[in-house]
Amino acid sequence: MVEPRPSAPTGCEGTEVVIEVDGLSMVYSERGAETVALQDANLSVLNGEFVSLIGPSGCGKTTLLRLVADLIQPTSGRLEVAGKSPRQARLDREYGYVFQAPVLYDWRTVLKNVMLPLEIMGVPRDERRLRAARLLERVGLSGFHQQYPWQLSGGMQQRVSIARALAFDPKLLLMDEPFGALDEITREAMNLELLRIWEETRKTVVFVTHSIPEAVFLSGRIVVMTPRPGKIERVVEVDLPYPRDPETRESERFFELATEVREALRGGH
Amino acid sequence: MPAFRQVLPILVVLAAVIALGYPLALVFGLPLARRDLSDLRKWRKELVTSLAPSDLTPLAEGGAITFSPQPGRSVLVLEGHPLEVEPDTDANAVAAAAGRPLLVPGEVPERLTDLLYRFPVEALAGEGADAIYAGTRLLKEGISPAAERPDGKRLDFTFEGAEGPVLVADRLLLEGEGFNFDQGRVILSEAPPFGSEVRRIAADYAVLDAAAGIVALARPAAAPLQWAQEVVRLAERLGGESDGANRLFTLEHTPVLENDRGRALYLDGSPLRGNGERPSERVSGERATFTFESASGLVVLDGRVLIEGIDYHHSGTEVVFVKPPARNARLRLHPDYLLVDPERGEVLLAEPPMPGAVLWVAEYSYYSEPACGPTLYQCFLALPQHPVPFPHWIARRVAPFMSKFPLNDERNVVRATFYTTLGTLAALGLGGIVGILLAVVFVLLRPLERALLPWVVASQTIPIIALVPVLLLVLGNFGITIQTSLLPTALIGAYIVFFPVVVGTVKGLRSIDPLALDLMRSYAATPSQLFLKIRFPAAVPFLFTSLKLGTAAALVGALVAETESNNRRGLGFQILGQVQSGNVADVWILLILSGLLGIGLVALVGLLERIFAPWKRA
Repeated sequence: MVEPRPSAPTGCEGTEVVIEVDGLSMVYSERGAETVALQDANLSVLNGEFVSLIGPSGCGKTTLLRLVADLIQPTSGRLEVAGKSPRQARLDREYGYVFQAPVLYDWRTVLKNVMLPLEIMGVPRDERRLRAARLLERVGLSGFHQQYPWQLSGGMQQRVSIARALAFDPKLLLMDEPFGALDEITREAMNLELLRIWEETRKTVVFVTHSIPEAVFLSGRIVVMTPRPGKIERVVEVDLPYPRDPETRESERFFELATEVREALRGGH
Repeated sequence: MPAFRQVLPILVVLAAVIALGYPLALVFGLPLARRDLSDLRKWRKELVTSLAPSDLTPLAEGGAITFSPQPGRSVLVLEGHPLEVEPDTDANAVAAAAGRPLLVPGEVPERLTDLLYRFPVEALAGEGADAIYAGTRLLKEGISPAAERPDGKRLDFTFEGAEGPVLVADRLLLEGEGFNFDQGRVILSEAPPFGSEVRRIAADYAVLDAAAGIVALARPAAAPLQWAQEVVRLAERLGGESDGANRLFTLEHTPVLENDRGRALYLDGSPLRGNGERPSERVSGERATFTFESASGLVVLDGRVLIEGIDYHHSGTEVVFVKPPARNARLRLHPDYLLVDPERGEVLLAEPPMPGAVLWVAEYSYYSEPACGPTLYQCFLALPQHPVPFPHWIARRVAPFMSKFPLNDERNVVRATFYTTLGTLAALGLGGIVGILLAVVFVLLRPLERALLPWVVASQTIPIIALVPVLLLVLGNFGITIQTSLLPTALIGAYIVFFPVVVGTVKGLRSIDPLALDLMRSYAATPSQLFLKIRFPAAVPFLFTSLKLGTAAALVGALVAETESNNRRGLGFQILGQVQSGNVADVWILLILSGLLGIGLVALVGLLERIFAPWKRA
């Protein structure tokens, strides 16, 4: 607790804008029917920030994340990631992506799963082994190098997935409901773990979630989104100080913020 | 307990074999056995003939005459006439009753060589041929044909139960001059011409040339050779009372052969005719008067004996019916007697014999018993090639079948299994590689898949049995046969294997979670990285599943290929050969062997899978 830790919710790591979203829209058209997944979104995410996207299904939070990752292309609007086009950011491997499912490769051991992005990026064998081992240690899976994914629990699998996303040390961590499939107890443990990792690595994190307590507990800022059409309703600043611990969840401010987010969500309807 | 667990599968298999094998064998075998029992054609035929005395001494010196074997109802017969003496009596009594000697000596045969004699022609005709004797010993005739047919080149022949000289056509060959022995086979020094008769004397003598009266002896006669024109004989007497009214008599041994040309029935000294005469006219349905050769006898219409005076009456050689017999009815006149019931051996005479007359039979045949034995069980056991043999029959055949040919002979079963295994493995390898390449091409180039997949499917609808001859013919033009190369088997097997491999591998290559593809995209992976690191490993379990399916099919393909006519290698040839020669137990051994081979090969693929895809859940 004596170590200096980022304590301010925003802006303390500098003012470098990592993600710049400007009037971004995404319209899916299938067989003539058009679905507006995201309408006129505006958002800036600063370096080292932990930003959550929250909202009900169909509000465009995953769409926004996928747009940032250049997995899909926007219909209109401007988007910059690390000061580049999303495509260039992807080619430069500026972000690591964590999906709701762990998406581990069955035929690779835990260690090799973490090594996969390094392999693809052409990191020499010894170094990638070293880095993968370090990351597995960081997520608390030191003893599981040679296990196959199916031998791990859901929480452990997701931790491998996080280690893999961090393996090549990207500037940005995009997480799409990474703990959505986990039970409440595991999820809270994972939340603490994620916060610890975030504080150690100081990545910029964009975190998509359904869960109000999770968003409040983790984030510096919460982007509240509403569906049909998906748009950003408002941004809630979370002024709970870091580092946060389980007691944070019981503080009065926590409940006030949760209520604020809840009301913002309701306001969209 | 762990030991028990290991043995358990074997016990289960054994229990299944016993619980299924024996009832099935019984269910399938008993009807055949029953048919064997009831089918008279499959019964053993035995000949009843009048017996000559086993020893001629008493005929000359007046001791008791013995016959063997002793028939039940019997009568002594001399020169075709029954003697009024109880059989098995002393020769003097018989001679007295006959009022003449019991042996009529014939001409002394002319000695040509030690072994060849010339008899008067009449000596060899009919029953008289029994009465050749050396000193007082009656000689037996017997000859045995060769098991092999002479083809103009063959020198070695085998004979059953014959020990005397060899006869080629009407030439007599002696051991040492003309033939030698080698391991129970007769080796002739000169090949008999194609189609000639090769025989061997089986008893004391054989008739070499009946027309010239030439007889060959098995060994030089110990005493001067003689021929008796007539000898007292023991014949069977028919059962039934000769009281002047009874017409029904019975033969002792039943069931009697119905159409027996050799049957010779006598009433006292005169032979009786048993064959039916046909009418001179057609049975038209309108005609009522028919002419026969004989003027009297039994009139039989469709197997029914008609009654004179009610159904018809005789008028000379004409039979006049009261009512015309039906068109095409079977009308016969039996002048002397009719075998009314072959089953019970009943004979109906046309006229009742005079009181005291003796009805006897010199020769007839009857069915002694089913060839397999008198009981169903014996017949079942005797079924030589039973479609579902008892498991222990199969087990008993294993060792002899495996060692039928030496290991270095390609017809050896172990060697055949080896050939088939190699062929199947080659097919797996070839089919696997072709299948994987095709799958990769299909996944990389979708339009090509759309163009080629229907043909791949079509290739599998061609029955392999039709493809094999064509392929073998084509390969044969290049001098490649199953006999000399693994390639044909491998090609045919591969043709079967590649299909499941293509389908499975394509599915495997496409089995990637879309998120996993997104992930690779987020890593900015190149297409080749995506293929090598993600698609291909993901396809490996699918590939092995397909290979397992393919293995079983490839084995069948190899077996079918090996049934090709010019081939003598592999289990396919073995199965075909044993099926064709009807060795059912051996076929079963081969079926089981093929099954075990299939299990083994699939297990081998499973082992490879464990090595190459260790991540799969146990």
